[in-house]
Amino acid sequence: MGHKVRSAVSFLLVALISVALAMLLISLTGSEVGRAFAGFFRGIVGSSYSIAEVFVKATPLTLAGLGVAVAFRSGFINIGTEGQLYMGAIAATAIAMYLPNLPALLMIPACMLGAFLLGGLWALIPGLLKSRFGISDVLNTIMFNYIAIAIVGILVQTALKDPNNYFPQSPPLPAASALAVIIKSTRLHSGIFIALAAAALVYLFIFKTPAGFRMRAVGLNPRACKCVGISALSCVLISSLISGGLAGVAGFCEVMGLHHKLLPGISPSYGYLAIIVTLLGKNNPLGVVLAAIGIAALQVGSLAMQRAASVPSAIAEIIMGVVVILILARQTLFKGLLQPARKEEKA
Amino acid sequence: MSGFIAILSTFLIASIRMATPLTLAGLGEAYSERAGILNLGVEAIMLTGSFTGFMVTFWTNNLLLGVLAAMAGGVAVSMIHAVMSIKCGVDQTIVGLALNFFALGLTSFLFLKAFGQGTILPTCVTAAAFPLPLLSKIPLIGPILFNQNIFVYLMFLAVVGFSIVFYKTDWGVNLTAVGEHPRAADTAGINVFRTRYIACLINGLFGGMAGAYITICQLGFFQEDVTSGKGYMALVAVILGRRNPLGVLAAALIIGFAEALQFNLQTIGIPIPSQAFSMIPYVSAVIVLLFSIGKSADPAALGIPYERSKR
Repeated sequence: MGHKVRSAVSFLLVALISVALAMLLISLTGSEVGRAFAGFFRGIVGSSYSIAEVFVKATPLTLAGLGVAVAFRSGFINIGTEGQLYMGAIAATAIAMYLPNLPALLMIPACMLGAFLLGGLWALIPGLLKSRFGISDVLNTIMFNYIAIAIVGILVQTALKDPNNYFPQSPPLPAASALAVIIKSTRLHSGIFIALAAAALVYLFIFKTPAGFRMRAVGLNPRACKCVGISALSCVLISSLISGGLAGVAGFCEVMGLHHKLLPGISPSYGYLAIIVTLLGKNNPLGVVLAAIGIAALQVGSLAMQRAASVPSAIAEIIMGVVVILILARQTLFKGLLQPARKEEKA
Repeated sequence: MSGFIAILSTFLIASIRMATPLTLAGLGEAYSERAGILNLGVEAIMLTGSFTGFMVTFWTNNLLLGVLAAMAGGVAVSMIHAVMSIKCGVDQTIVGLALNFFALGLTSFLFLKAFGQGTILPTCVTAAAFPLPLLSKIPLIGPILFNQNIFVYLMFLAVVGFSIVFYKTDWGVNLTAVGEHPRAADTAGINVFRTRYIACLINGLFGGMAGAYITICQLGFFQEDVTSGKGYMALVAVILGRRNPLGVLAAALIIGFAEALQFNLQTIGIPIPSQAFSMIPYVSAVIVLLFSIGKSADPAALGIPYERSKR
């Protein structure tokens, strides 16, 4: 009980400090704090459209965040979900473009599988390089992000280009490939169900299967696993494949649910945000879903705040960085604050 | 033949210029990693340095003040990382990544606050080439090595200075001890915490200087995410160079060459998408990392917080 209260108080303090910092930054720009906050909350819950918009952004964040969580569980630090998302988007677009006559019943699974495999492959390479040769996973996955984004840039000007469009983008994809909009006059599409199903599957995989158990064990102590005959190599390979695959499916959802074509800047850093989502969600599928909704709300709200009170939306990144740092430092930061509280409890 | 030499020397000049920020930041990171602190926030240090350096140069038209401001900005970021990893003992990788987010947001935010959403990019004075008398007249190597800007000379001096500190002084031995076996170092009377804080300070100073190089020497302007992954490239150089100053320089030159190649190919005007060229440095970084296979000589305590009270 005491521990839970103390923990809750410290999280509350983290939230308070973050809000105070946000207020300071807003007043720095010369905007009225009240108006900015009103704009922020109106942007999140002001209308059915804005609520739907939060879940539109939460969809790729959940999928990519689950991907990061699966990787982190096995000790594979996958910072490359951004690139894996783009590779998934490429695969989905290419399949829909070159097999336009598939019926929807085959088209959507085919695109999704293609996105999963290409995204997974893009994570598998750094995963193999890490677990087989000990090359830094962090650096390789980051480099793979830049390479994937460049590949998308090349493809939308060449193999996947719309010949009838001046701008570098793919032609509109066949209607059979589109994910249905589930609430009229919003952008919310059935990708959200894919994300939720993925969360359930990842939960079952991590906590209820032998492979998931081995993967977690490798993440916690690779040396002990070697001693009892668990192959770290195969665990990291499986987890990197699933991790990249989930990010690839996020790319599939963005193309098929939202844009219905491939654009060069299809992801506004979802892959990087996914890392924050995973950290806040503590590598737990349910936590990831909740954190994804929270981060999506922060994004949607800060964009609305930019429109309402011309506060740069970069404020969202600042707050996210600060929240992660404060949560990490919580134990040390609030030591003095929390120990007297414990004494009072005893008295 | 003379045409070939002219092209080669242009390339080498450009490679050295591109390698300069990677080497400067890489040296700082090498120092920090030798003490056992793995800072993946080099990107944040450089980006903050780029920003503060640009702003102060823009306001004062004084390059020296700009560089000092950049170094101060870099130190501010590296000190957050230092306190988090040394005092709070948290996961150094994650703090570094969180700092990258934080710096990206903060610099964009403050830049927009200072200049607004204008269409004209504000520019500042830049450091010009500073040919060294006599030396720059030497044929071939003169123009390559001695007709550069002041940052390049500083980089070469720093490579020599870091080599001496690492391999020829007690200070360097203590640094290695702290990175390899902090408990033994502590027992021998070396102040582990102070050594690590100083290492982080040096990382901030040199990373900030590297950031300044990008805005107030190469570009003359600042924009969102102006470092675009150079901090990570510096980390690649540190790994391939095995935290040896000369090795870091050599690795940075390889990546710098790829960058120079990329810029030159883009200007030739071959009709293929420019991204095919702009990805060359990143691909070369992956290849460079491949060459580090089997050479792993990480300090034993790299990334592990030291707590006196634990066994």
